[in-house]
Amino acid sequence: MIGYILFGLVALVAIVSAVGMLLSTNAIHAALFLVINLICIALFYLGLNAPFLAMVQITVYAGAIMVLFLFVIMLLGAEQVTLKSQLKWQAPLAIVLAVVMIAATFLLFFNVQASGGLSPLAPISEDPRQTETFGSPYAVGEVLFGAYLLPFEMTGVLLLVAMIGAIILTRNEAGGMRDEQRAASNE
Amino acid sequence: MFGTESIPFYQIAAPILPEIGLLILLLIVLSADLFLGPSRRRPAGIIAAVGAFIVMAANLVVGLGMVNNEAFAQPVLGGMLRYDMLALIFRTMVLLAGGLTCLIALDVPKVGQQGEFHAIVLVATMGMSLMSAASDLIMVFLALETTSISLYVLAGYLRDTPASAEAGLKYYLFGAFTAGLFLYGLSLLYGFTGVTNIYALAEPLGRQLLDGTNGSFALALALLFLVAGFGFKIAAVPFHFWTPDVYQGAPTPATAFISTASKAASFALLVRVFGAAWPDAVVPLWTSILAAVAAITMTLGNLLALVQRDIKRMLAYSSVAQAGYTLMGVIALQSDLGVASVAFYMFMYVLTNITAFTVVIIVSSATGSDEIKGFAGLSRRSPCLALGMVLALLSLGGVPPLAGFFGKFFLFSAAVEAGYVWLAILAVLNAIVALYYYLTVIKVMYVDETEDTSPIRAAQAPTIVLAITGAGILIIGTVAGPWLAWALAAAQNVTAMVP
Amino acid sequence: MLDQANFLVPPIYYVALSGILFILGMVGVLLRRNAILIFMSVELMLNSANLAFVAFARSFLDVNGQVFVFFVMTVAAVEVAVGLALIVAIFRTRRSIDIDELHSMEG
Repeated sequence: MIGYILFGLVALVAIVSAVGMLLSTNAIHAALFLVINLICIALFYLGLNAPFLAMVQITVYAGAIMVLFLFVIMLLGAEQVTLKSQLKWQAPLAIVLAVVMIAATFLLFFNVQASGGLSPLAPISEDPRQTETFGSPYAVGEVLFGAYLLPFEMTGVLLLVAMIGAIILTRNEAGGMRDEQRAASNE
Repeated sequence: MFGTESIPFYQIAAPILPEIGLLILLLIVLSADLFLGPSRRRPAGIIAAVGAFIVMAANLVVGLGMVNNEAFAQPVLGGMLRYDMLALIFRTMVLLAGGLTCLIALDVPKVGQQGEFHAIVLVATMGMSLMSAASDLIMVFLALETTSISLYVLAGYLRDTPASAEAGLKYYLFGAFTAGLFLYGLSLLYGFTGVTNIYALAEPLGRQLLDGTNGSFALALALLFLVAGFGFKIAAVPFHFWTPDVYQGAPTPATAFISTASKAASFALLVRVFGAAWPDAVVPLWTSILAAVAAITMTLGNLLALVQRDIKRMLAYSSVAQAGYTLMGVIALQSDLGVASVAFYMFMYVLTNITAFTVVIIVSSATGSDEIKGFAGLSRRSPCLALGMVLALLSLGGVPPLAGFFGKFFLFSAAVEAGYVWLAILAVLNAIVALYYYLTVIKVMYVDETEDTSPIRAAQAPTIVLAITGAGILIIGTVAGPWLAWALAAAQNVTAMVP
Repeated sequence: MLDQANFLVPPIYYVALSGILFILGMVGVLLRRNAILIFMSVELMLNSANLAFVAFARSFLDVNGQVFVFFVMTVAAVEVAVGLALIVAIFRTRRSIDIDELHSMEG
């Protein structure tokens, strides 16, 4: 029972923070709302036997990625954002989509509940020997460096290209040419 | 699980030969860039191009040598890849496109003189090569994102030019959004089956569908999300909005690369996922969804192409339409001809579109604009370039005896064979509309007068590219037989299940 | 050590929650016009997909789903780095990151 209560509380925080992010008019606030949301998701990972992912979630997402977001927002001085603007055709579309999909989510959920959890989407197997080691860093690492070695190596290349790409896209041209441009643009 | 002693080394190395080769090449190019100094970086691009061709040749030789090996057409490297004819053919395409892109970028100012551009092209090629062979959802997602992220950088490469930066951001926003949809689709698939291997999906999916109707809605949703992800990559309507702006704003070599290699690799993946992952019960559903997408895509693409005045935008809408045609082959996936026609069409499309964009690069650097008007009098300013453009446009239009004619012929007959006669008729009507705007450009080049009649000189590297691709269009067009046989061989072992 | 069984909530609850978060992210992408906020909404979408993956992995007791999430996180980090670099680049050229103002090219 206590599990359901905790889940409900954290889920509420997650949804409220997500809505808060959507509606905020300050980019910094939006980023902080997202951080709360990401931490909630890390808590869910703990509840789902994924302690390794919970830690990675905190360090990579809440730590690195969101700091990058905050850094760029402050660097550009782009805190103030408008909520409105010309929401031509997107607004009705988004709302219709949202209503349809939320309805669908609930429909699916209650369907699964009604069928006693035997649906394709929730076959819980409860073998205590398995649940004990399931999701431990050891188990994840074993698979990561076994079957998934090739994708793992590819992430190295991916990080390299991100580094090169980010440098290319943001660096100033070498030499004085750039300074002249900047002087020109300051006028 | 690989890495055990029982598997000989070459069986592990051969399936990832292109990746190994490209990785080594990447390091060479980056170090060359470092040591060459700011003003003399041209060799970095030449190394990248020549290296890509060498990797392509090596992959082809090794692959053809492995055809009868027991590791061929089997899941390798922990089930991440499937080393088969489909992978071999599409890898050849993307490596060719990567090498040609490096060559045509060589003389483009602020692009080809920098080793980084070529390095990112190589990483994108690596991602595409993995896309062509990926057989596990994790590998699929990673390969797709490696490709996409590299291409975002290439699109926004000229960061000081507003159009290029804008192209990069637009491409990125669309790409990230559809990647999110795609990922959720993958998670639903995983939720259904508990497996991540594409070839193992169909059986549990079919069983779930038989068991009850609970999940059929979620499965339809997963299908739609996957279509959205692929629709973005191949620029199919309604996920095509980025195409004209990105094609126009990105540096032209990057546009050539995005329009050809990225599309080809995405079709390889589309064929593999849709050919293997869906149980028979879902086939009518996805074929009808894709048929609708194909019909709208080719019609809208061609109609919008009619009114364009910018050559890059026109080619963008033309490439949307071409994606629509190619989808017909995907719809006919149940027959061998379907897969074969996709492979054949993409091969010809890669050659043709690179030819067109190479001419665009040379002409617009001479005239300083991308307007179609700028092509006026090209037949007198440079007969060879005009001829190259004519070849490319007529091939895109499907005029015999060029490669495009057989490509379209195979696609249309695949659609008819699959029972989609209405789609084939629509495609024929579309091809006629398309011919109109292709012929308009040819008319501008050969009939229209211009004040500036100074001859246009092409640099060496693009000339080589034009020679290769032009010859390719002619050869594939005149002797289509062996190529189709090759493509049919790819078809025969693509959908076979994992034993 | 608390008894774990007390805390066990069926994974389908998590999946339903992930669906809601995913929709919120999608609405954010469609509604917001500021590039940074769109990125954040995309992050929300990726995270909800991750949550669904972990929940499914729990119900199957299959560690592959967790490994998938690990890779998605890596990709997300890379995507954010490149995306923010693009934002900085575009901010330099036009002093705005409102995507409604991105129309230097003809439609």
